[in-house]
Amino acid sequence: MSLLTIENLTIGIPRGSAAPLAIVENASLWLQPGEMLGLIGESGSGKTMLCRSLIGTLRRRGAAILSGRITLAGTDLAHTDERAWRDIRGRRVGYVPQSALAGPNPVMTIGAQLREAILQGTPGADVPARARELLDLVQIRRPELVLAQYPHQLSGGMRQRVMIACAIAGTPELLVADEPTTGLDVTVQAGIMQLLRDIRARLGTAIILVSHDLALVDDVCDRILVMHAGACVEAVPAHAAPRHPYTIALNRSRIELAEPGTPLVTIAGQPPSVGAWPPGCRFAARCDIAQPDCRLGPHPPMRGEAHANACLHPERAA
Amino acid sequence: MTAPLLSARGVSMRFGRVAAVRDAALSIEPGESIGIVGESGSGKSTLARILAGLQPPSEGEVLFRGQPVYAGGIAYPGPLRRQVQMVFQDPYGSLNPRMTALAAVAEACRFHERCSAAEATARSLDLLARMGIGPDDARKKPRLLSGGQRQRASVARALSASPALLIADEPTSAIDQSAQAQLLNLFHGLLGQGLSIILISHDLAVVRYLARRVHVMRDGEIVEAGETATVFEHPQHPYTQALIASIPGRKPKETAP
Repeated sequence: MSLLTIENLTIGIPRGSAAPLAIVENASLWLQPGEMLGLIGESGSGKTMLCRSLIGTLRRRGAAILSGRITLAGTDLAHTDERAWRDIRGRRVGYVPQSALAGPNPVMTIGAQLREAILQGTPGADVPARARELLDLVQIRRPELVLAQYPHQLSGGMRQRVMIACAIAGTPELLVADEPTTGLDVTVQAGIMQLLRDIRARLGTAIILVSHDLALVDDVCDRILVMHAGACVEAVPAHAAPRHPYTIALNRSRIELAEPGTPLVTIAGQPPSVGAWPPGCRFAARCDIAQPDCRLGPHPPMRGEAHANACLHPERAA
Repeated sequence: MTAPLLSARGVSMRFGRVAAVRDAALSIEPGESIGIVGESGSGKSTLARILAGLQPPSEGEVLFRGQPVYAGGIAYPGPLRRQVQMVFQDPYGSLNPRMTALAAVAEACRFHERCSAAEATARSLDLLARMGIGPDDARKKPRLLSGGQRQRASVARALSASPALLIADEPTSAIDQSAQAQLLNLFHGLLGQGLSIILISHDLAVVRYLARRVHVMRDGEIVEAGETATVFEHPQHPYTQALIASIPGRKPKETAP
């Protein structure tokens, strides 16, 4: 039984009498309890919007769910009003923002922010005890000191640990981490990734880790969902050979595997912009093996269970 | 051994009581690429700014083709100025949002070389084309370009001076993986044409790919330096070992049969 199921989800920006502008189209994914899923794609591929649909903050960006279903352990998240979201956010779905951008509130102490998160997650909780427990979970030593500090007194890695503590305060079933280590140093990044894995192991939390770094998610996740121009193109188990031409090209363009002095593989062109999606597969214009039928009809859906692929001609991809 | 293009000896930089760079020494030969790696606060960007002539050091000496860079109050005086150019991390912040990529590069062309507007435009279009930006995209403003295109436009602008040395501070940090590969291929081609590149990055994979020699900085000091391949295979300093162990994805994803 899946913890999370997304079926044919389309997210867009309503434009009055004109047709809404689709940002994510017919996205589908499933997640087992305790599973760690990597979500990757270039800027503008729709990965952040997909995450926002899971914490009910699409409207803050002027977007809305146009069609499709999101089910979290029996709860319908696609037709949830703001009032109901307050019981879901923090309690059933936790969210870790990008470190550099939406960090902690600069004018509140860590203790005050953690208190807010704890009471949102578990009304009536013993706040001081739970705060120490959470800081211990995210491996912050000297919790008494940190609780009295303001965000600017902490390093980027420590701040992100605090954000993770806030996100898991309500022991959510699902944690969504949107590029949690962007802008952090590699050693700090490695520490945060280890922490996410520890949390998954200790609390059984399912995690969606958003990144544009294929190498990173391949290292730490169980499966990887690849998005391109608003469509899900492949869901591939970690360490397995990719089958969609886009994922294959991404994998080949990995710098850490390249031989110094040899040209790197690049992907021709740019992904099509939102509002200018061509018919058929949106990768076709950048694809070496595209066939005439790739440019017809709607974007092909992903087919397959354990390893799903949207390519119409997987036998040609290699 | 050829004479170094740029060399630094005993370079230190203090901001108040903080020593951002301590007794750093390095050199780069013509056509060579070197990397400076380290974490936030390690002093690598400060050292880069000192080498680029943007920040006089508290102590020490920087020589360009044997001439002191910071002599007489002006860094890289006269004709030396154009020989060293810099590319920054944030391609959006380093391009004027109200100018097209073409206008931004043409402005730099006319700054560095006395030429007509028509000549500057032709030369800029050529530079942008070499960076993979066609004439249509060249006439777009930065917000309509992708991050990778913006960064390549910044490189075109830097190259308009026909520099001997390019100092790139985290050029790939803010762009997508496939755009990174494009930019690194461009840098690779430029090295083949005799340009020297100093690459500052916290991304060791990028440095491993592009730099022949690498300097590892921590707390303002260069703690390890050597041939990149050697340093990556046999890191000596514990800090270098920790850095290399943190690189994601050194285990190759198996390739399709």
